[in-house]
Amino acid sequence: MTDARTDVASPRLAGGRGEPSPPVRARKPWWHRIGLTTSRRRALISLLIGVAIWEFVARVLVDGSLFFVPLTDVVRAGYDLTLTGELQHHAWVSFQEFFYGLLLAVLVGVPLGMAVGISTRVRDYVQPWISGFYSTPLIALAPLFILWLGIGIVSKVAVVFAMALFPITINTTAGIKNTDQDLIDVARAFGYSRTDIFRKVLLPSALSFIVTGFRLAVGRGIVAVVVAEFFGSRGGLGYLILVSSQSFAMDRLLLAVLLLAFTGVIGIGLVGRLERRLAPWREDMTV
Amino acid sequence: MTTPPMVSIRDFRLVRQTRGGTLLVLDDVSFDVADREFVAIVGPSGCGKTTLLKSIDGLIPRTSGEIAVNGTVVDRPGPDRGFVFQMDSLFPWRTVLANIRLGLEARSGDRATKNRTARDLAALVGLQGFEDHYPHQLSGGMRQRVNVARALAVDPQVLLMDEPFSSLDAQTREVLQEELLRIWSERSKTVIFVTHQIDEAAYLADRVIVLSARPGRVRASIPIELPRPRTLELKRTPEFIAIVDRIWQEIELNDSGRAARDADETQEARVNHA
Ligand SMILES: Nc1ncnc2c1ncn2[C@@H]1O[C@H](COP(=O)(O)OP(=O)(O)OP(=O)(O)O)[C@@H](O)[C@H]1O
Ligand SMILES: [Mg+2]
Repeated sequence: MTDARTDVASPRLAGGRGEPSPPVRARKPWWHRIGLTTSRRRALISLLIGVAIWEFVARVLVDGSLFFVPLTDVVRAGYDLTLTGELQHHAWVSFQEFFYGLLLAVLVGVPLGMAVGISTRVRDYVQPWISGFYSTPLIALAPLFILWLGIGIVSKVAVVFAMALFPITINTTAGIKNTDQDLIDVARAFGYSRTDIFRKVLLPSALSFIVTGFRLAVGRGIVAVVVAEFFGSRGGLGYLILVSSQSFAMDRLLLAVLLLAFTGVIGIGLVGRLERRLAPWREDMTV
Repeated sequence: MTTPPMVSIRDFRLVRQTRGGTLLVLDDVSFDVADREFVAIVGPSGCGKTTLLKSIDGLIPRTSGEIAVNGTVVDRPGPDRGFVFQMDSLFPWRTVLANIRLGLEARSGDRATKNRTARDLAALVGLQGFEDHYPHQLSGGMRQRVNVARALAVDPQVLLMDEPFSSLDAQTREVLQEELLRIWSERSKTVIFVTHQIDEAAYLADRVIVLSARPGRVRASIPIELPRPRTLELKRTPEFIAIVDRIWQEIELNDSGRAARDADETQEARVNHA
């Protein structure tokens, strides 16, 4: 950095200066222009190494396709299943279960977390349940949900909802509670109403915590979909994993797992994009 | 005097609840501030200066005694008072302009006018060109200026300032002191200004109030009879230095006065200072 004093120069001096001059732009290599930034290039290299190791292990070290198959076999299985339409079907079933469950969890979890954060009374009544449920391995209740709600989509949505609700609620509450008292005092000093304090102070301040809750919920939601499908279903990627493992179809099993991982990456990427959209003032930190 | 005081504090006492029990922060504080008067408050750290200022703003519930502003008893913040917080409590998700606009948003009026007011104030404190920066992109001194501009934007009658220039370098501080004096005289405001810097208090104020260590009580109220408009050269005159010395004496008297209850050291302390 430049000398800090140049920033606090007297207003007289600062007056004529205006906008700090833009940084000198270095020429960028061609791969930047097609969207391949330095960090993406590194990610790509890392993934390619992983693929190579997978291929090597499966072709050279392991023999017998009963336990492990090369990535190229998985790709072929994906191609075949796409042609028959089975893959789209399973993916669509799982996606719906995931999406509706998560949506419900957001719609319930965010307001609930806010209420707990703002009102002591609500907190006193609700907190014991939240703590209790959060420390329960709710996924273990999946068979129960299936008994109650059948092997269709509804029971899976319920499991996803149960798994995603608590991280969202707890993080929302934490975000509200973490609001700087000084900022609330500033708003009070300016005569803001309670609603305005909520809208203009608590909510923006809690935003990054809420988004962190979403991120955790995406991960838990995917686990919930798969496990719930294991316990009883007629379709979905979890179902595909289950039947493939029973028939030792490693290529299909790994295909489903890869798709789930991919969904998780995309989901978390979308949350990150949402965060940058909602909170453009945040910057990457330097350690 | 026929004109009623702008701010009137009577037998004010404030107790705070802490984990360890109750804490008497301010005790038996009484003083008046006249309309258009500039009063500085000095006192040791933790003596309750911020608490007193927040009480005048109506941010802290009172324990006993009374504070009135413009003849009305204070029980909540109001548009007649503006507060400059000790920490430059800027909203990190708002740009400089949006931070300055903060107080205006609680009022009626169209957005364009509010933006224009905010822009003018940004220029007034020397931040033109930085209106769209976020607080984390500013230096400490620039953040302090936003902090001051934000309070000025709502054009309050009484300006309550809690060490507003504390994190500035000497040069910027002097420029802003001059600016503040100019705004104060042009816009005819009443200012209550908390500071740790004795020379800052003497340079700016019509009167300096010295608070004792906690519980804060008014130890002295020293009128500063230096001519206005004051310029920076004033700070080097013997009159000014004598006044600063006088305030120092009050503060030290007050410290050694406490010690004297244990050991009779009052004389010694005075001699040492002289
Ligand atoms: N929210 C609070 N709850 C309880 N006690 C508090 C609170 N805020 C401040 N105090 C106590 O009140 C006393 C006075 O605090 P205050 O902030 O008014 O001091 P100050 O004179 O402004 O000090 P400084 O010069 O360091 O800013 C301190 O002892 C502090 O511990
Ligand atoms: Mg203070």
